[in-house]
Amino acid sequence: MTNAQNTHTTVNEERQRLFRRVMVYVALTVVTLIMAFPIIWMVSVSLKPTVETFSLPPRLLPNSLYLDGYTRIFENPQFRRFLLNSYLLGIVVTILSLAIGTLAAFGFSRYRFFGDKAAKLFVITTQMVPSITLLIPFFGVIVWLRLYDTIWGLVLTYLTFALPYAVIMMNGYLDTIPRDFDEAATIDGCSPLGVLFRVLLPVAAPGLISTAVYTFLLSWNEFLFALALTRSVEMRTVPVGISMMVGEFGLKWDEMMAFSVIGSLPVLVLFMLVQRFVVSGLSAGGIKG
Amino acid sequence: MATLELDGIKKKYGELEVVEGLDLSVEEGSFTVFVGPSGCGKSTLLRMIAGLEEITAGELRIDGERMNDATPVERGVSMVFQNYALYPHMSVEKNIAFGLKMLGLPRDDIKRRVAAAAETLQIGALLKRRPSQLSGGQRQRVAIGRAIVREPRLFLFDEPLSNLDAELRVTMRVELAKLHRQIGATMIYVTHDQTEALTLADKIVVLRDGAIEQAGTPMELYLDPANAFVAGFIGSPQMNFLPVTTTGTDAGLRLSSAELYALNVVPDGAGWGADMTLDLGIRPEHLQVGEDLPVRFDINVDVVENLGGTRYVYGSTASGKSVIAETRADAIPRAGDKVTVGFDPVRARYFNANGQRLRHKLAA
Repeated sequence: MTNAQNTHTTVNEERQRLFRRVMVYVALTVVTLIMAFPIIWMVSVSLKPTVETFSLPPRLLPNSLYLDGYTRIFENPQFRRFLLNSYLLGIVVTILSLAIGTLAAFGFSRYRFFGDKAAKLFVITTQMVPSITLLIPFFGVIVWLRLYDTIWGLVLTYLTFALPYAVIMMNGYLDTIPRDFDEAATIDGCSPLGVLFRVLLPVAAPGLISTAVYTFLLSWNEFLFALALTRSVEMRTVPVGISMMVGEFGLKWDEMMAFSVIGSLPVLVLFMLVQRFVVSGLSAGGIKG
Repeated sequence: MATLELDGIKKKYGELEVVEGLDLSVEEGSFTVFVGPSGCGKSTLLRMIAGLEEITAGELRIDGERMNDATPVERGVSMVFQNYALYPHMSVEKNIAFGLKMLGLPRDDIKRRVAAAAETLQIGALLKRRPSQLSGGQRQRVAIGRAIVREPRLFLFDEPLSNLDAELRVTMRVELAKLHRQIGATMIYVTHDQTEALTLADKIVVLRDGAIEQAGTPMELYLDPANAFVAGFIGSPQMNFLPVTTTGTDAGLRLSSAELYALNVVPDGAGWGADMTLDLGIRPEHLQVGEDLPVRFDINVDVVENLGGTRYVYGSTASGKSVIAETRADAIPRAGDKVTVGFDPVRARYFNANGQRLRHKLAA
């Protein structure tokens, strides 16, 4: 092959690579816009007076900066209550699921006992039942336990969803940690729980954090059970609060969307944290791999 | 420093017996190596000594005290793992200090002992690093540091060098031998590498199928193997085994085979008899290429392995039996050549059909 041919081939390859790169970015931009549109529209509507929301042609940006929706939300103690309820519920459910779930997962991962496989299978099968089919039985149980219209009724209900997930997820993470760590820690003088808390959990931190985020979001976003198992306005959560705006206060789109934005913020912040923490291969280095 | 005694130690998993009623005593300050093929129970035995594995039956004593149910800390053992098992979320310093922290020692004491261990192993500059920032050899040093800092009664090593590359393995082997001399502690070391066993051990324990085949000094095992398994396992390349048949009386037997000129032996002990088929074992380093040794036969050369200082000649005898011989001569045989190899009968060892050693005196 001559030099000229060589140069020609190189230029062609360069062009093809550039073209492929451009196409990838075009595809990514289109997908991102489609996925992000509802969020962008939500933010846009929250910043516009209701009259502007339905103007034709639709406009993404408001004529002037309009924050009345947000102001009214923060001024209304009811909405603050909804936020407080949602946070309280999310935090309690997360802490309880992690505490109980991690201990159960440690048992499943590190010990063999009679019926262990059946028990694990049972935990997994609980995830296969559509939650809506459980609504009526749960209602009955919660009323019977005298927990209707209380935060604890919701905590108990959400735990039944979050806990199996926490067990499965933490069991998966703990299974990936070699037993050598347990044994090294035992030789160093740790009790079984010492092994879990001093060695396994720090190594499984990414798993712990993603499980925490998932259980928090599960509780934060849940609507159906929160609606069915509470009655008084003081016990409502953010998703139920948003839905209440439709009926009770008419359709104040700016307020509704402002509250939705406020309601989505923890989700966004948590996802950013997850990205920061779920660093693959934290356990790399300790064990020859 | 401590002594260790195993008295009828057994390990069963359900019906499967992996360690079969084992007796062993380990002297104070000695370097004992458990060696054997995969699945022989050597690691299980080490883990039972460490307290990581329950003992099904028998008694384990450290310094004369029964320790069957004691925790690893109560036993005063520390262990270096094959995979290092350094805690990835801790710095080297914290890894080494962890055991001392668990013992509840004062902070100044911990600091002093970590510094001393780091100096012994020359890892002072690495103390602030995480395990992921270390090379394989450095990780292994840290793992050893974590073991020595506790000043245990017994050091246990579970194939600690098997993840290192060949060159580093040799270096670390020498360093381990030095370390043993320096701190003089009782060490028990598990390996499947007989070279490691021969170079490090004061005493080698050869295991097979959960039982001790032979225990003794490296030279005892090399020169005076109790059976064909030990003879084949210790020494590299492996000992050659040639089938021979016996004729004559118990007082003086004549051995012959397709390869050998007739060879006389005088039995020394039981097990011998006429018309038996035995295995004659001769190590490659004792089977020399050349015409000048008393017992000779010809082989066809298949491959020559040139190691520089010495050469191993892989060939086959007239009856098709594969053998390995050694030559130090500059004239290297080539594949396809026919060469004469020979040995001194003093070097030969004999094994019956069950692999048991038959002892002999050299015939007059």
